[in-house]
Amino acid sequence: MTLRAGAPAPRRRRGPSLPAILSALFWALYLALIGAWLIFPILLVVLASFQGNLEVTWPPGHLGFAGYRAIPGGYWQSFWFTIKVSVGASFCSLLISFPAAWAMVRGRLWERRLFSSLVLLPEIVPQLILGIALLTVFIPLGLSNSFAGVMLGLIALNLAMGLRFGEALLQGLPEEYELAAASLGAGKLTALRLIVLPMIAPGLAIAALFIFMQNLIAFVLLFFIAGPSATPISIRLFTDIIDRGVVPEAIAMSAILVYVAVIFYAAVALALGPRYMAGALMSRKG
Amino acid sequence: MLSISSITARQPAPGSADRFGDPPGRPAPADPDGAVAARRRRNEVLFYRLCALPALAVTLLVAAVPLGLLIVQSVRAQETGDWTLRYYVRSLGNRFFTHTLLTTIAIALGVTAVSVVLAFPLAFLLARKSRLRTLLMPVVTVPRMLPFVVVGYAMILLLAPITGVVNRALLQLGVLHHPLFILFSWPGQALAFVYSAIVVAAGILTGVLIAVDPELEDAAVSLGATRLRSFLSVTLPLSIPGVIAASALIFATVVTAYAIPVMLGGRVPYMISIVIATNLLTLQETHLAFAQAVLVSLLAVGVTVAAQLVLSRFGRR
Repeated sequence: MTLRAGAPAPRRRRGPSLPAILSALFWALYLALIGAWLIFPILLVVLASFQGNLEVTWPPGHLGFAGYRAIPGGYWQSFWFTIKVSVGASFCSLLISFPAAWAMVRGRLWERRLFSSLVLLPEIVPQLILGIALLTVFIPLGLSNSFAGVMLGLIALNLAMGLRFGEALLQGLPEEYELAAASLGAGKLTALRLIVLPMIAPGLAIAALFIFMQNLIAFVLLFFIAGPSATPISIRLFTDIIDRGVVPEAIAMSAILVYVAVIFYAAVALALGPRYMAGALMSRKG
Repeated sequence: MLSISSITARQPAPGSADRFGDPPGRPAPADPDGAVAARRRRNEVLFYRLCALPALAVTLLVAAVPLGLLIVQSVRAQETGDWTLRYYVRSLGNRFFTHTLLTTIAIALGVTAVSVVLAFPLAFLLARKSRLRTLLMPVVTVPRMLPFVVVGYAMILLLAPITGVVNRALLQLGVLHHPLFILFSWPGQALAFVYSAIVVAAGILTGVLIAVDPELEDAAVSLGATRLRSFLSVTLPLSIPGVIAASALIFATVVTAYAIPVMLGGRVPYMISIVIATNLLTLQETHLAFAQAVLVSLLAVGVTVAAQLVLSRFGRR
């Protein structure tokens, strides 16, 4: 059996040829290895979280929720902090970036290239330098180590993604709908509310999900502007491993983050179908 | 890919309001209709600019201005505020800094090459085999949605010298007599980066390969090429834009990564971000750290921009 289905039928050939067997073997081996490499570490985290131990043993001995029960309140606080700040930042950034995308696509402004490059800046510039820059500005303003500061940083980062999603969505929607609405006397905002928004609402929901996920895993930027009283979960886990080494609670929390990613994938895949995930993934940069 | 050029290329739709608003070719300002239309166009432009204003304000205030201030401060002396380039000179003249920077670049280049090569067949399968795709998509997507910290924990469980699964398995099987200490050194960090980078590369390459028409390969085969040859001379060249985009993204990410180098780091800092963070947070040499951050960012942004330029030339052909 070859994996290359759909090939034109080989001329006068009885059994599978040697190259076909070799290529099937290559693909099988490759898939097995790369699949194991990608899945196995994640499985280890989940398994270790149930064993409540740093040493994963096989066959698994005592599985239990001890690791999960041991998760300290501080972790949960950070977890909910992350969820809250991510939801807030995603919502605000869509609210800000969608009108901008609309203006870019429909407005025919001469400065749109300049504007787009400027809004994409936080994504092109490494988070390392953006984080340091925000830290130095936020400290005198009292914004570092605060909910508002973390959220502002995330919004700046998200606008780029929101703008790209918004532009793609609006480019996919023919302008004639809006023109028809305008010809019937609707103002721009009415057309936006009654025609444009309902038509691209599913796309906007997906955009919101992706922005939310970006916020959930943001690290380097937040490392500099977060602090003890505003700690996202990735920062909390990170500082903990520096201060105390690997502890079972941290692994249980990591496993919870794995579940969040899996649930997120399931939600998007159900909403979109897996085919479109590729396009959505690609749109992250470039 | 989402490019802005496609907007520029778009012709105004027939009958659209702003056809009246394009002034130069239009006659006579005396024409009352023209004046009304021009005013309407002005209002429209104003309205759209207002729509774009919040995004502009946030980006300026929360990104552009802080970055500008940082660059300005990097050329001023920390104590006196005099203009000086000494932080740049000191960094580039410091053997430790340049050595770490070169190591970082070498690791990033290696990670980029390895992960693009490893991800390419995966992306090919994802793009061509729709049944495999449903199966493989979660495998490729879920790791991408994990924070680097979780990847770090996974690598510790997998590769740690005494407790790691791989080491214990190999010791039990008698392949090794002493545990391998790869984790808290550069190979462990490189492996962790490759883990994350493979899925990034697979995502980008899949998007590009889906756009490559499989019938082109079939055509090559029908002309007598082998499957491998048709892949090498048809599919591979057509997917170069994806390779460039993925490489630039991975390189820029690895060069400035911070979580993995610290979590899986030993006593010697291999990655430049650690040096910068130490200068900033521990040694209080803030302006030196600014200058070094600017240097590293120039490298990362340079690669990204160069890739974009090459890609836009590809797009024009």
